[in-house]
Amino acid sequence: MNKYLLPAAAFLVLGTSAAFAHITLETQEAPVGSTYKAVLRVPHGCDGKATIAVRVQIPEGVIGVKPMPKPGWTLQVKNGKYEKSYQLYGEAVASGVKEVDWSGGSLPDEFYDEFVFRGTLAADLPVGQKLYFPVVQECDGATTRWIEIPAAGQDEDALEDPAPGLNLLPKK
Amino acid sequence: MSVACFQRIERTVGRCFGLLATILLLAVLATPNQAFAHAALIKADPADGAVLAQTPTQFSLTFSEPVSPLVLTLVRPDGTPVALTSFRLNDQTVAIDNPQKLGPGTHVLSWRVISADGHPVAGSVLFSVGAPSAAPAVAEAIDMDLRSAIWTGKVLLYIGLFLGVGGAFALTWLAQGVHSGQRFVIAAILCGLVAAPLSLGFQGLDALGAPLARLGQPLVWRTGLATSFGWTVLISLAALGLGLLSLVGPRAGARPLALAGLAGVGAALAASGHASAAEPQWLTRPMVFLHGAGIAFWAGALLPLGLALNSQSADAGVFLGRFSRTIMPVVAMLIGAGTVLAIIQVQTPAALVNTAYGRLLLIKLALLVFLFTLAAVNRWRLTALAEAGATEVRRRLSRSISVEMLIVLLIFGAAAGWRFTPPPRALAIAAAQPTSTHIHTLKAMADIDITPGHTGEVTASIVIMTGDFGPLDAKEVTLVLSKPDSGIEPIKRPATKPGDGSWRVDNLVIPVPGRWTARLDILVSDFDIVKIEAPIDIRP
Repeated sequence: MNKYLLPAAAFLVLGTSAAFAHITLETQEAPVGSTYKAVLRVPHGCDGKATIAVRVQIPEGVIGVKPMPKPGWTLQVKNGKYEKSYQLYGEAVASGVKEVDWSGGSLPDEFYDEFVFRGTLAADLPVGQKLYFPVVQECDGATTRWIEIPAAGQDEDALEDPAPGLNLLPKK
Repeated sequence: MSVACFQRIERTVGRCFGLLATILLLAVLATPNQAFAHAALIKADPADGAVLAQTPTQFSLTFSEPVSPLVLTLVRPDGTPVALTSFRLNDQTVAIDNPQKLGPGTHVLSWRVISADGHPVAGSVLFSVGAPSAAPAVAEAIDMDLRSAIWTGKVLLYIGLFLGVGGAFALTWLAQGVHSGQRFVIAAILCGLVAAPLSLGFQGLDALGAPLARLGQPLVWRTGLATSFGWTVLISLAALGLGLLSLVGPRAGARPLALAGLAGVGAALAASGHASAAEPQWLTRPMVFLHGAGIAFWAGALLPLGLALNSQSADAGVFLGRFSRTIMPVVAMLIGAGTVLAIIQVQTPAALVNTAYGRLLLIKLALLVFLFTLAAVNRWRLTALAEAGATEVRRRLSRSISVEMLIVLLIFGAAAGWRFTPPPRALAIAAAQPTSTHIHTLKAMADIDITPGHTGEVTASIVIMTGDFGPLDAKEVTLVLSKPDSGIEPIKRPATKPGDGSWRVDNLVIPVPGRWTARLDILVSDFDIVKIEAPIDIRP
């Protein structure tokens, strides 16, 4: 358990200030093989401009994704094939939602909002590693791409626009 | 010719050398650095300061114009030099094979090359294998003895060509029957005949970066002859020979020989040097030819004319008449050609003051103004009276001509100083060269060229590929230039696609020189970005 406490503590101490400015996940760790409710926190617009669309890419291994509709926003999903077939409630699934788009709304820079979807974390996801959900934030005449994934050994805090990440815990 | 007169000439010539030595000092002091010559190194692989994981199989040096290598040496960390003899020329790039495995530590790739103008340029690139160590010492100091020797050889060659061969032309074409100054002219030619081969040896020494003590080695002479200055020396020897023959040979052939000699003077100068190597060649080489032949015509006639007038010989009036009738078009041609060459070489008025080359030109112009004033007074105030035979006027004219001679020698000294100063034209070409960097990672690779590679407004041109050399069709490319130690915030500019497959950033302003970090943010797809970076050196 220590293995997870240390990074978690480090995150609380070091990560909070940086996390304020970024799009992040509300729950930043979850066991593999479980259902995960992802809450994307959007703290501000792009360079002061109002957010008009939020698009998130669903990483491989997150299956059966269902986004939560949001009043004032048009919800769309893009479906596609998974890299392999997964077992979900005893059934084999080989395709599903690969991208979720909330668009047509307007979230001014001075307001905060959340965008929610739910999915299942496949049981064979690598425990101890981080799973990233790249997000594109579109605003009036500007775009911020929260899509940077640290390379092996790279400090996540050094990234300008890191993708929201989720620590994978062992299966319960 | 009276003994007293000859003594006076000797004194004058002696005084000239004193002044010439002063100019030499000026020329050398004004020359900033020998690394700034015409063929400038614009890219080296490995780059200066690079740290390599393993021994490179070859080195490559890219210059601002085509060059041929004279000496290529690799100095090991322990200071032992290894001569690199296997190389290939590919346009402006010299690719050099590295025959051996290199141990860890800092190595120096020392190069000495020569370009079309016949002037050697040298420099070195430091790189390390594994990790840097203390750099081995490489002597690349300016050899003042050799510089003085080259300059003196050049001045003496000018005396031989302009006063000797030019004098022979004046004596055979203008001064029929007058032999005043013939001994001096022959002496000048002999001086040129000694100076020409010596200059070749000095050139060989300069080409190899060898000290004066090695002048006796055949390799030095072969190297000198292989440079474009070798042609100047060969043609000079022919011209000097023709001049001498026109004076001592049969009278019937004298005039054609002297004319051929005069043409040889122009051709010798056009064969090498800054001005002849400048573009466009179809213009510069003929201009140098006309300039050289014109100087020989004018300067060569001065001494025989002065002596003839001084000796009060009966034919001196005829000589003076012919000279003053022909000199106007010759001087017009001389000035015309000189102006064209100066414009090509100096380019901007500011370069007259900012560069050593420009300052030498200003010295030369100041001397010329003085010379032209004297010549104009002679031509329009004294000549008519002297032709009529007024003895006192002839004396005055003769004295004035000896002052002109002195100035002419000073001008030779200034012109010989150009041997050590790159013209602003070449400096501008070197400054306009791009600076480049290459980035290679697993995900992507890129070539970034920043043109010109110095501070100020520049354009960046970027070519990107996948890590395995495949095409990389990016959605967006952003160039980020940063220099954390300068206190300047990173400069971030989106690149545009001009349509030729590359990316570019226009109107980029780089405020300070030094080592910057160039980062490329390559948006491969909506959710996939690749960031790669490498250092890039910006010149001042």
